[in-house]
Parts: sequence; C-alpha cells; structure tokens
Amino acid sequence: MSAQLLRVAEPAEVRRAAWRLILSDRAAFVVVLLTNCAAAGAGLLGPWLVGLIVNEVQAGAGVAAIDWLGLLVLLAAAAQFVIGRQARYKSYRFGERTAARLREQLVDRLMQLPARTVERVGTADLTSRATTDAALVSFVLRDAAPEMVFAVVQALVIVVAVILLSPLLGVVGLVALVAIPVVLRWYLRRARSAYLVQAAANAEVAEVLASTAAGARTVEILGLQEQRTTACSSSIAAATAAQLRTLQLRSVFFPTIDASTALAVGTVFGVGGLLYLDQQISLGTVVAAVLYLRQLSNPIDTILIWVETLQSSAASFARLEGLVSPAEPPRPAPTGVTATPVDQHIVVTDVHYAYDDTDVLHAVNLNIRAGEQLAVVGPSGAGKSTLGRLIAGVDRPRAGRVTVGGADVADLAPEQLREHVVLVTQEQHVFADPLRDNLTIAAPHATDEELLAALGVLGADWFDDLPDGLDTDLGIHRLGGAQAQHVALARVLLANPHTLVLDEATALLDPTAARRTEQALAATIRGRTIIAVAHRLQTARDADRIAVMEDGRITELGRHNDLITTTTSYAALWRAWSGDTT
Amino acid sequence: MGHRAVSPPRPLPRGPWSYLAWLVSRQRGRVALGAVLGSTWTVGLVLPPYLLSRAVDGLADGQRDVVLWWAAALVAAGGVLTGLSIWRHRTMTRVRMDAAFRTMSEVNAHTVRLGATLARRARTGEVVAIASGDAWTIGRSLTATGPGVGAVLAYVVIAVLLLRISVLLAVVVLAGVPILALVVGPALGRLQKVGTPYREQQGRLTGRIVDVVAGLGVLNGLGGKVIYADRIRTESQHLLQQGYRVGRVTSVIQAVGLGLPTLFSAVVVWLAARLAAEGSLSVGELVAVYGYAAVLAVPVASVIENAVDLSQALVAARRVTDFLALRRDNTGAAAPSGEGDLIDEVSGLRITPGTFAAVATARHSDAAALVDRLGGFQPGATWAGQPVADLDPAPLRGQVLVADNDADLFAGSLAQVVAGRHEVDQVGEAAVLDALHTAAADDVVRGLPEGVGSRIDSGGRNLSGGQRQRVRLARATAADPAVLLAVDPTSAVDAATEATIVDRLARNRRGKTTLVTSTSALVLQVADEVHLLVDGRVVATGTHTSLLADRPEYAALVHRGERSDARPDDEAQT
Repeated sequence: MSAQLLRVAEPAEVRRAAWRLILSDRAAFVVVLLTNCAAAGAGLLGPWLVGLIVNEVQAGAGVAAIDWLGLLVLLAAAAQFVIGRQARYKSYRFGERTAARLREQLVDRLMQLPARTVERVGTADLTSRATTDAALVSFVLRDAAPEMVFAVVQALVIVVAVILLSPLLGVVGLVALVAIPVVLRWYLRRARSAYLVQAAANAEVAEVLASTAAGARTVEILGLQEQRTTACSSSIAAATAAQLRTLQLRSVFFPTIDASTALAVGTVFGVGGLLYLDQQISLGTVVAAVLYLRQLSNPIDTILIWVETLQSSAASFARLEGLVSPAEPPRPAPTGVTATPVDQHIVVTDVHYAYDDTDVLHAVNLNIRAGEQLAVVGPSGAGKSTLGRLIAGVDRPRAGRVTVGGADVADLAPEQLREHVVLVTQEQHVFADPLRDNLTIAAPHATDEELLAALGVLGADWFDDLPDGLDTDLGIHRLGGAQAQHVALARVLLANPHTLVLDEATALLDPTAARRTEQALAATIRGRTIIAVAHRLQTARDADRIAVMEDGRITELGRHNDLITTTTSYAALWRAWSGDTT
Repeated sequence: MGHRAVSPPRPLPRGPWSYLAWLVSRQRGRVALGAVLGSTWTVGLVLPPYLLSRAVDGLADGQRDVVLWWAAALVAAGGVLTGLSIWRHRTMTRVRMDAAFRTMSEVNAHTVRLGATLARRARTGEVVAIASGDAWTIGRSLTATGPGVGAVLAYVVIAVLLLRISVLLAVVVLAGVPILALVVGPALGRLQKVGTPYREQQGRLTGRIVDVVAGLGVLNGLGGKVIYADRIRTESQHLLQQGYRVGRVTSVIQAVGLGLPTLFSAVVVWLAARLAAEGSLSVGELVAVYGYAAVLAVPVASVIENAVDLSQALVAARRVTDFLALRRDNTGAAAPSGEGDLIDEVSGLRITPGTFAAVATARHSDAAALVDRLGGFQPGATWAGQPVADLDPAPLRGQVLVADNDADLFAGSLAQVVAGRHEVDQVGEAAVLDALHTAAADDVVRGLPEGVGSRIDSGGRNLSGGQRQRVRLARATAADPAVLLAVDPTSAVDAATEATIVDRLARNRRGKTTLVTSTSALVLQVADEVHLLVDGRVVATGTHTSLLADRPEYAALVHRGERSDARPDDEAQT
C-alpha cells in the first residue's frame, strides 16, 4: 500500500533528469567523449596497418619496409594503451562526480519531502530508494557508464572506419547488422518491467531474511521455524522465476546480436572477396574491413554485459527521480486565512479525515484554549492519534480546518510550525551520533548546561551511566526504548513550542517513571498547551478537560469531575479502574 | 503439544575457500556443464580467425569458386559460437543463482536455529548484509568455474596453433603469458587496497543516510535538517575524493588488462609480418596470427575479472562461514517433565499450575527479566524442580510461551499470523477468529479489506500499535500453551479494551497456567493471585483487593501514586 504513495518517474522525466545531470558537468562530459573517441580511433590503427602489411607483402616488399609498418603497429598499440587509460580515468572522474551530485541531491530531496508524505510512506520504501537504488545508480555511473561510453564510441568509430575504407562494404556490413536495432528495441521494451520485477523479488528475499533475523527470538518462542523456512524458500522461488524470465529475454537478445556480427563478417568477406577478384579493391582493404567488423564484437559484448545493469539502474534512477514530486493530495483552495498565527489558540472546525475511502474522523470540532491541558481518550481505532497528527500539522484534513492563531497548521512551513506545535509519539528515532547532537537538532545554540537541564528535568538518571556524557556516541551505545523517549522529550523541551501533542509519549516508560516524567513535563512547560492522547486514565484525570472519542467522533467533552458523575462510558471505566464500586 | 524440531546444524565448511568449494559440490553437474561449455566456447573463439586465414589464402590464390563457401563457413562458425555462448550464459546464470540463493537459505536456516541467541548477540545486521550483497558476490565468483577453466584451455589451443605456424611466434606467446600475469597480478592487489577505504566510507555514508531516513520524522518535527544535510555533503565529498583515487588505479589496471594484450599482439604481428615478407608465412597465416593474438584478449580479461570477483567473494564467504559457525547459547537437552510449580529463585516467585497469576512492579526491566528467567532464556528459574534454562528448547517452547511486546509480526495473512506455527487449515478459521476475539481484536478483522485473509505487512507495519499488540496476544492464545507468560499485554490499548481483554483472557486460560505482568488495576483485579515485586523481589502476594487494602505501596503503584501526590480535589472521588 505504501509503495503507491511514492512515485516512480516516467521515462520522459528520467531522460530529462539524465540530460540535466550531463549538462551540469558538460565540459567534463565533452572531454570524456573526446578522449574516448581518440582511444577508439587509436584502436583502429591496428587492422588498417595489418591491411597495409598484407598489401605490401603481396607486392613483395622487403623486411625493411615491413619493419616500419611493424613499428607503427606497436606505436598504435602503445597509443591505444595510454589514451585508453586517460579516457577511462576521465570517465571515472565524471561518473564519480555525478554519483556524488546525485547522492547529495537525493539527501536534499529526502529533506524536502513533506512530513505527511514521510509519515505515510514509512521508512522502508524511502530507505530502499536511498540505499539500494542510489547504490546501483552510483555503481553504474562509476563502473558501467565509463565502459559503456567507451564501447559505444568504439562501435560507432568502427562503423565509420569501414565506410571510409570502402563505402560499399560499409553498406553491406550495416545491412547485415540490421537485426541488432530491431532486437534491441524488442528487448528494451520488455526488459524494464522484467528487471523491475526481478529487483523487487530479490528485495523480497532480503526482506524475508532480515525479518527472520530481527524476529529470531519470536521465531524460537512461537516455533515459527518451519514458517520462516517456507517463507524464505517461496521468496527464493519467486526470485528465481523472475531471474529466469530476464534470462529468457537475454536468450533471445544475446544470440541475435552475436549471430548478426558473424553474418556481417561473412557477407563482408564474401562481397569483398568478389570485389577483390574483380580487382575493384585491394586484398588489404578486404582484410582490414573484416578485421574491423570482427573487432566490433568487443564493444558490442561490453554493451551487452552492461545493458541489463543499465536497464535496472534506469529503473532505480526512476525511483530516485520519483522522490521529487510525491503524490500529494491536491491542496484545498486558499480560504483567505492569515499565513502567520496571531496567537496560540487552536481551533478544529468540522474536520473529516480519510485514510482510504472511509472517513476515520467525522465532523470533529474542538476549541483548545492557550495553556489548556486536554486529554484525548477512547478505544483503539477511535481516531485519537489521527486527530493528534492533524492538530500537529503532520497531516491535512480531507475537509474542515485545523488552525493555530487563525492560520491553517498544515500550511505552516516546518520551521514555523515547530515554533508552535510539536508532536511526540512513542516511536522516536535516536540518531547514531553523540547525545549532544541528538539534542541540539531542536536547539542548535543550546549550551551543555541547558541540555543537561532538559534531561535532568525529565528524570533521565541513566545519563550518569553513559561512558562519555554528552559526547557518548549513541550509534555505539544504543539507548533503550524508555531512554529514547527521554531523549525525544528533552528535544521537545529544547524546541520550546507553545503547544505539545503527546501521543502515548510516555508509554514505554515504567509506570512510576512515566508519572514522574509527565509531571516534570507539565511543570516545565506550565502555561503551554498540551494535548495528550492517552489510554491511561490517570493521565486523563490530571487534564483540564477530557475529550472522549469513539468511532471518529468526540462523544464527551468536559472536566474529569463533571464527566465521572455522569452515566457516560468514561465514568463507567473510571469506576472500574479505580475500584470504586459506588 | 507439537514438538518443533530445531533442525540440527549440518556440518558446513569453516573457511571461505571450502565454502565456495561446497557451493560447487552442491551443483556438480551444472558446474561441469558450465566448465565444458565455457571451455568449448572460449576455445571455439579461435575458429573464425582460423577460417579467415584459410579464406584469405584462398583469395590470394585467386580461387573465385570457393569465396562464397568460405563466407558461409565464417557465418556458420559464428552461429555455432552463438549457440555455445548463450547455453554457457544460461548455465552460468543458474550456477550463480544457485550459489546465491543456497547461501541465503543456509543463512535463513541458521538464523532460525539460533533463535533467541541471535537476538542476544545482536548480529541481525550481518544477515541483512549477506542477503543484500554478500550472497550475490559469492554467486558471481562461481563464474570462475566455467569461463575461467575455458580461458586456460583456450590459451593452450592458441599456443598449439601458433606452434604449427611458427616456433618463434609460439615461444613469444608462451613467454608472454606469464609476463602479462605477473604485471597484472600486483596491480590487482593494489586495487583491493585502494578500494577498501572507499568501500568503508561508502558503507558509513549509506549508514548515515539510512539513519537520517529513519529520523526524518524527528527532523521534520524539530529541525536539524540543515545540519544533517551538511554533514552528509561533507562525507559525500570525502567519498568523492577517495573515488578519484580508486579511479586513478582502476583505470590503469583496466588499461593494462586490455592494453597489454594489444601491445603483445602488436609485437606478434610485427614478427609475423617479417616472416611473411621473408616468405616463410602466407598472407592468410599472417591474418590468423593477428586474429589469434586478438582472441587472446578474451581469456586474459576473464582471468582478471575472475580474480577480482574471487577476492571479493572470499571476504563475503568469510562473513557467511563466521555467521554459520555461531552456536546457540543454551544447549539444554533435558526433557521438561510437564506439570509442577514454576519457581523463580531470584525473585522468590512461585506459580502453581492452573492459576492466573499477575506480577505488579514499578520497573519494566524487572518484569522482563523475570519472564526471561521463567521462559529459560536466562538461568535462575526452575519448573517442577528442573532448571528451565537447561531444558531442551524444542519441547520447552511448545509448553511455555513467552509473549512480550517486542515480539515480531511476520508478513502473511492475518489468519496465518495468528495461527503461528500451524497452517490455518489445520487449526480452522473459527479458532483464529476465536483467538482474535479473546484479544478483543475483532475490530482489526473488520477494519481490513479481506478480513482474516488480509495481508499483514512485515512487522505489522499496516497496523496501529494497539492493533499489533492485540494481534500478538491473539497469536499467543491461539498457540494455547500450558504456560503463558505475558509481559504487559495490554500496555498499548485503551482502558475499555483492556477490561474486555483481561476478562476474555482469564476465561480462555481457565485451567491452564498464566502469568501476566501489569500495573493496571483492570488487569490485576482479574488475577487469582497478585505478586508485588519491589527491586526485583516478591514482597507481597495476595489478591488485588487484599493488596490494595494491606500494602500502601501497591495502591500507590497501581493508581500511580495518586494517594501520595494527587490533587486535593480528586481525593473525594477515590
């Protein structure tokens, strides 16, 4: 389901993007082409000189004359060596630079993805694009593309050389090669989807292994050994089938190409031989033309080897380009609201929200005073978290509005939004960096004292056990879930927004620690608005007001003391929980 | 109670070389076919230059009638080579696939064998590395078995053919080979050395990007994007500089790989041309010598390629064999006797068979450690007098089920996820629905497009946190173990659902042994017996009501300190 949320660029876009990459380094690209042409040209001197030698030998030339030609053959080979190396080196540099540019572009694009897109797509698809796809594209740019450029240039230069040698033989050779463009077209049409399927099937095998490994304990506990083995073998069976399909395509493609070059060599020899016997061309010309055509198989083989990699990398490239304009639901027409919030007042007006087609929120209205502590309770799936995300501007309602100080929260720029509303969930990421860096992302200029104060307020006593204090690399010294939650909350304290949406933000903490942390949080951010999505009734009791949600609606709204005296579901639950049987 | 056999580890090769040999031995026939086809094809490459030399000689003699025959022979030889070539490619593709997938299968099988040991050793990253890269690197290296063998043979054939034309030329070629190998060899080593820091840096950069992707939510919500983007840019530029260095060396090696044979064949051609001028070589033979020398480039190039692949594959195979050499921590062999008290010696907890017990503690970690001991993952507990950690894991896991909130959900239909180790047909859909009902997860079924047949993503990614927890609990109850040890099974659900779950769970577990850890009054009031754990030790045992009355610290815990620091206006309500 998440796969459809991120686009894969269309072929035309991919071509434009590739062209842009080349244009942005065009001087280097021209150098790459020129050196490759020179290298290919040097490679052609050999057969031409052999042709000359044949003519000379036939004419009964002496060893001295042959020595001059022999020396030239040697020099041509040396030139090919030196220029060829330069051509490759220039290509490598170009490829490496382009790969770096692509990589940096990718990161910029990831950073620019709207929060709600990231939220919905999930990290799996993004990660596979940022790693597998990016790695393949840079591999191609660094290793395959230089080879490919060299081969294509070489092939073209050879064809031109034969035509120069004898236009008639050139035409005969080209006619014999006519199957190549046809089969290439046939192949490339099918290859893209086939290689996409193959890549997906391979990724699935890796995914199965990764989840078996990640869940190894669960496998043991539940005795899922057989299931996981079956899952592995069926994913392998699917990947095998996908690979055999691409092999089938190659089984048509490769032989056609090979047979075409053999046909060209044979026909050019036949026609050339007859022309020689009619004394229209020299034997040397026939020999050189045939040797050229035989040489053609080298670049063609190289192209064959890489064309499939190039195909899959084009698919990967399309996935990278697909990050640019992710499928966003069209923005509702501007309603003429102020772009900048004028105060801290949050208003939810007639909000509807749908994940697929069915609304999970129906006409929700809520008016939250600045500084109010509101608890949202209700059964799972009632829409509590969805409401929290809408209030935090992570997502946009299908209909209706969520505003802070009169401005639509979903329209606020991230930099602006985080000064107003921040969402804290129980799933918090800790970067593989020093603790200090993990905290200062929210407040770049905070002093160490401020960072320590934030942790101290939350009761993060584990800090004392860290080997290097704030400098502890959390990539090496991994934090547990509860500790990560402390880090997340400390970031929020440092970011200092006027409104906090806490979605089970303390669920991973021990009950007493959670209690302490919540109190600390409340004390520290007194005067701020807190919207806490909670299933713990104690959290609800402490709030100024409680909103009870059921089936995507707010069914009850009021103070704890008012609600529990009623016959509402909240009151019933409260009594069961507190052991109050009255 | 079905016993799930943990298949015994098969003796697998220890070293990288023997691992590669083992992969070959698994598909001897196919590898042999690949070697024969590879050799025939590479050797066959000399056919066209041979035919061409004869044809040119025929032309030089002015034989008009045979020109077309020679032309046809050239096309036919090309046809045969084409057939050989694709057959070889098809065979070698299967060889590579077999090796790669077999490696993945073995790693998966070993992951399954290691079970909780793997989780404790935190080696999951290696499995991912093997599955996404190493297995294919290993597969690719088996190319050496086919065309690699052929390359050597082709060399010999070319030498023999040259010997028939001229002893001098043959000697030059035979001497030239070792020289080429000697020059190219050290360069390859250099490539490895230059490539290593590059690959390491590349790995670091990828790791950093993965980290940032995982943390995009945080960066979006709180900022820090600029810092991270800059950091990645710096490392990317660093990688670029290293890439330039690698390119400098790689381009030389490739030029050597291609240029040396060319230079070499230039020398051969020169010599041949002199012999032709002296009249001891025909024009056709001159062309043949040129052709043979050119064909020589193919086996040289493939030897170089194989050497690179092999050197990478050895590193990869080492990682695989190291992983396969990991052994389980607990190798207990004693069969569990079944019924009897479950006693944790560390905390002093005793659970009598058939009761629904609850443990309340302020520290999650204490509860988790307790359950780990009772489940035999750590020493310290006994079951009917036997140390649990010394019991044979296969039957033990069938009887004692630890349900923790870290438990993974694997991809599959909801019914399959709940049915666990059994097939859905085996347990019946009714049993699955029943288990889901016990876990109050009926709404999960209703919310999915195809009910219990709907696909659950790996890790339950398409479910909410609360839904995942209930599906896990449904899976645990469906397994119907004699002893169920559940860690905070209702921590992610709302109070109303929690009340429903404990009620149904208690009914479902009647007559069987159950332990849940929780601090929720809704859960604790259902238990036959509640144990209060303080600092990892049982300090009081009783019912929820009796503990509430007798132990103020218990009341403080389950009502989260409300008596000690509740707001005054709340006092009246409780």
